[in-house]
Amino acid sequence: MSDNLKLILNKAGFHTSIQDEGRFGVQDLGIPIGGALDKEAMQTANMLVGNSPNTPVLEITMIGPKISFQGKGQIAITGADMTPELNGQHTDSYKTVNINSGDELVFHNAKTGCRAYISIGGEWETTKWLESYSSSSILDNHSQLKDGDSLSVKSNLPIDVKEYPLSKRPIYSYCYIIRVVTGPEFELFDLPQIEDFFNKIFTVGNESNRMGYRLNGELVNYSPKREEISSGIVTGTVQITSAGNPIILLADAQTTGGYPRIANVVTEDLSIVAQMKPGDELKFMLISQEDL
Amino acid sequence: MRIQPFGDSALLVTFENIISEEVNQKVISLFHVLEKSDGFNSLIPAFNSLTIGVNKTIWSLTEATSFVQDIINNQQLLSYNGDQTSYVIPACYDKEFGPDLDEVSTQSGLSLDEVIQLHTSHTYRVYMLGFVAGFAYMGSLPEKLWCNRKQTPRVRVPKGSIGLAGRQTGIYPTDAPGGWQLIGQTPLEMFNPDRLKMSLLKPGDLVRFRAVEKDEFKIIKLKIETGIFEMETIDE
Repeated sequence: MSDNLKLILNKAGFHTSIQDEGRFGVQDLGIPIGGALDKEAMQTANMLVGNSPNTPVLEITMIGPKISFQGKGQIAITGADMTPELNGQHTDSYKTVNINSGDELVFHNAKTGCRAYISIGGEWETTKWLESYSSSSILDNHSQLKDGDSLSVKSNLPIDVKEYPLSKRPIYSYCYIIRVVTGPEFELFDLPQIEDFFNKIFTVGNESNRMGYRLNGELVNYSPKREEISSGIVTGTVQITSAGNPIILLADAQTTGGYPRIANVVTEDLSIVAQMKPGDELKFMLISQEDL
Repeated sequence: MRIQPFGDSALLVTFENIISEEVNQKVISLFHVLEKSDGFNSLIPAFNSLTIGVNKTIWSLTEATSFVQDIINNQQLLSYNGDQTSYVIPACYDKEFGPDLDEVSTQSGLSLDEVIQLHTSHTYRVYMLGFVAGFAYMGSLPEKLWCNRKQTPRVRVPKGSIGLAGRQTGIYPTDAPGGWQLIGQTPLEMFNPDRLKMSLLKPGDLVRFRAVEKDEFKIIKLKIETGIFEMETIDE
């Protein structure tokens, strides 16, 4: 018997949005791809409720929401540990959770990691734009969810409770090594700057969001060699600002930019970047295209 | 011309490292050819480069590279022009809409009337869309109108504002932060996510500005709101 599950966000949290794989094929118009920053966590969450991997999820950031439910269904939580509690009791992440009418799910501040994901078994009844459910600042009032917003999902038939093996779950740290390949303007940098880029430990700046992560730590003696002609950006592009600071561009970044692109984070490591929070440290490690 | 991997799931094709119509036409022709293939999931044409997101469930970067290389080698395919449209864009060069008219006049040594006359006397090419959805980078400006960006960017530039920066002119499709020198405003909706043709302009289109008084600006706005406005185009 299928049921409808309604979620009411009594408190939306710091930054909660609907995300899926993102919207493709419209970047020539300047529309960002968007989509979940931690795709691995999104896909795992969907698998745990029997959804196809790129079904929309809620992406919650740093401070989680307070959600009450109406109707029956199944959910799963993955990603950052925000000590979720169901009706006042600790509830496990990385496991299918059965939801009944009146249940209340409360998240706290992220203990480890930065973003958690909530999947809901079934079909979302929210607006799709350009083949994607992902929130977008282009649409009025659609960039993030607000206190009091509600969502409705047509529940699937319940599946047997699944648990994701402990050995496969990510362990979040405060210090990361992020693998990159050389970027289009790599050769424009001199050896001292390149060495500095790979030797330095950068910290994630406070002004980091879904558009990009600003890193604290300037490349030594850096000054731009020439003015770049604006060119495309892909998720994971690391550009160097005129002041010498790296920015890792993420899913909501603008589609084009004019800073030199020194490196690109490999796709697999983007899920790790998504879990870094302001103050976390990282070092870049260069790998070759052949190593991928 | 250079094709290089861009991260692990994209390619970057860069033609000559200059901004010119000829180079940009190559970018746009390649874009129109690749648009028809299923093997790519995002394409970003820019002044002299095309960023190509490769659908890696279909093929590898190496396979995609040789496919793109073959197209570039085939001159005939690259002569494809797409459907280039020439638009006339109404623009109100009132100081209320163009708070930087005086600064541009000082920088260029031209009178306000000369700035407007010069801006409306040229046909501009849309080189690319970027920055925010539907923001068209158009050029090149007549040399006398080349100007520096604002020292301090504005936190909010109103939707429709027409700006100058370097050799480019552009229109803000939505309220956005920005550092371009603002000389006027168009009543047109450059981008509307609810419209079938979301962005009025596409790369390769041609644009001419037509100066309108405040009254006409308001009438056009009303016509757009009531759905009776007809876009003015120039037949080649």
